[in-house]
Amino acid sequence: MIPIQHFLVLGAILFALGVYGVLARRSAVLILMSVELMLQAVSINFVAFAAYLAPQEFRGLIFAIFVITVAAAEVGLALAIVLRLFRNRATANVDEVDTLRW
Amino acid sequence: MVGMEHAWLLPTLPFGAFVLLLLLGPYLPRRGDWLAVGAVAASFVLYAFMLADLLGALDEGPFAGVASGIDWLRFGTFHVTLGFLFDQLSAVMLAVVTFVGTLIFLYSTGYMKGDPRYGWFFAAMSLFVASMATLVLADNLLLLYAAWEGVGFCSFLLIGFWHERRSAAEAAKKAFITTRIGDVGFLIGIVLLWREAGTFNLKEIFEFAEAGGYSREYLTLAVLLLFAGAVGKSAQFPLHVWLPDAMEGPTPVSALIHAATMVVAGVYLVARTMPLFDLADPVALHVVTALGLTTVLMSATIGLVATDIKRVVAYSTLNSLGLMMVALGSRDVTAAMFYLFVHGFFKALLFMAAGNVIHATDRQEVTQLGGLAAKMPQTAAAFGVGVLSMAALIPFSGFWAKDAILHGVSEHQNAAVTALVAFSAFLTAVYMARLYILTFTGRPRDHHAYEHAHEAPPVMLLPVLALAAISVVAGFWAFDGVGEALGFPGSIGKFVFFEEPVELKFPSAIAVASIVSVVAGLAVAGWAWWGEARPAQLLAQRFRPVYQLLWHKYYIDEAYQWVIDRIVLALGRAIAWFDRVVVNDTGVDGTAGLAAFSGFELKFLQTGRLPNYALAIAAGALVAAAVVLAVRV
Repeated sequence: MIPIQHFLVLGAILFALGVYGVLARRSAVLILMSVELMLQAVSINFVAFAAYLAPQEFRGLIFAIFVITVAAAEVGLALAIVLRLFRNRATANVDEVDTLRW
Repeated sequence: MVGMEHAWLLPTLPFGAFVLLLLLGPYLPRRGDWLAVGAVAASFVLYAFMLADLLGALDEGPFAGVASGIDWLRFGTFHVTLGFLFDQLSAVMLAVVTFVGTLIFLYSTGYMKGDPRYGWFFAAMSLFVASMATLVLADNLLLLYAAWEGVGFCSFLLIGFWHERRSAAEAAKKAFITTRIGDVGFLIGIVLLWREAGTFNLKEIFEFAEAGGYSREYLTLAVLLLFAGAVGKSAQFPLHVWLPDAMEGPTPVSALIHAATMVVAGVYLVARTMPLFDLADPVALHVVTALGLTTVLMSATIGLVATDIKRVVAYSTLNSLGLMMVALGSRDVTAAMFYLFVHGFFKALLFMAAGNVIHATDRQEVTQLGGLAAKMPQTAAAFGVGVLSMAALIPFSGFWAKDAILHGVSEHQNAAVTALVAFSAFLTAVYMARLYILTFTGRPRDHHAYEHAHEAPPVMLLPVLALAAISVVAGFWAFDGVGEALGFPGSIGKFVFFEEPVELKFPSAIAVASIVSVVAGLAVAGWAWWGEARPAQLLAQRFRPVYQLLWHKYYIDEAYQWVIDRIVLALGRAIAWFDRVVVNDTGVDGTAGLAAFSGFELKFLQTGRLPNYALAIAAGALVAAAVVLAVRV
């Protein structure tokens, strides 16, 4: 059996990549993809812990399903916003979208 | 049959008139004055029935009357019952309120004729009578206090009736504030009595006190605080300053409120709570005597030099009130109530006759009057009766009442007090005779006013003459025969008394001393002021400092003004500074300023740039993780 540490390290790497993507990227679409990476990193942790701590129960798995559902909904909404943004401003660069400020 | 159980109706009648006048006044014929007069007259009739009922139930002792009450407040174990009590004490007081009140209302229809606020005058007067009747009939201290404030409020309204005149507005304010000072003490006293006894009901408080429920010191403090209320309302030294100024009100107001009824409420209160005063330390009654005596001497001496006809009568009222307090200080409830009873008649008479003079001449200063007896003989005669009653010449009513007081004082007080009271009788005769001489005899000093003077119209003359007749005979209630003929158990001493029925006696020594001092006073006044008043002027020049002292009313108003200007206002300014600088600028404005400033600075965090926010979230998450780790380890 693969030790749980492997899964955790994989999750951590994925999460760090996601954080990096959110902070470093300027394209709204790439930022959304990075957020997806962070969400899936969390899902991996859920599934791993579920398998190792209480294999008879599905609590962790249910959470993973939830995360996927919410992520799908979130992407649907966010992509619609990005699309409207691109229609209006002809850009998806978040640095150029800063009118909501003091 | 109408009887004592209808006591609640007595204040309701004038109160109903007040409400109707307030709502419908301008639409009623004659602006509804007949409604007010009718309501007061009806309360007098009702009073007569109640009195007849009371006389039938007299065998039961001092609190013979019937009390009725309703539960007013009830929460938990605390409940307050409000009710009416009609007994001998309230009967005497109500006789003055309803009967003299009716006559004064009639008189007002003449005196106030043509006034732009004619209807409002009668509305306020009706409200006053309603409050006064409630005060007299209340069987508990809470209702009594409410009515007490009610009459004070009506007094304020009516003193300031001509509030366009600055002096009237000032006088109204002064009267209200000065009496409030005493009322604060009164309220604290009521609360003290209630705290131990758990009831406001007078009878229950008396029973509680007699069972020893209060400690002696506690009770003494409580009754002295009650007396503070009486000092304010009955204008005793040192809170007497409002009453002379209250003469700014219309004359019927002075007659009803500031002579016959409201100002004697303090006397009534002390008489009512006499069982408590009796159980308290003797020092309480000594305070009553001392303040009463101070008021008597002070007012009698000021009356010697005052020149406003109404103010002189007002000083004579102070004089009378002081006398009643001295009588109460001697535990002589009968004498005090007897004097209160006859005083209501002859003092209202004096005010209304003075009102006739003012109405006819439009002058109030005796330095502008004179010789009016020729122009208004009936008013002059009536005023003369009032003067002699006030001066207590035999056989006018004032004589019997004042002799009853003198007798009581000589039995309960030391010789010095008796001598001072007797001396005040002499002074009273002097200044009352002076007032009559300066107003009605001699040569007119203001010819214009004299030429236009005329006898008062019947509606103003008849009440005055009626009161004059009563002022002559009311004193005969001192005799058992008269009282029995009227259906009473005997003289007033057998009707109103504290503990034991009193046999009114007029020992020849006191009677002779009183008659001698009164005649001497009248003679001195005649010598000093008759004709050209030369001796009086010489005396005033010779003893100029004394004259100045009296003219300035012992500088008490000036002293109060100094205290207000220098101490009260300085304190006020200090508090105002604290309020403005510390509370407002620092506290209120400071908080708002801090919020505004921090908002101004912090808004720059809102850059609108997504990467900034993302970085902040990441950093925050790192910090949170670090904290969690640190706490775990």
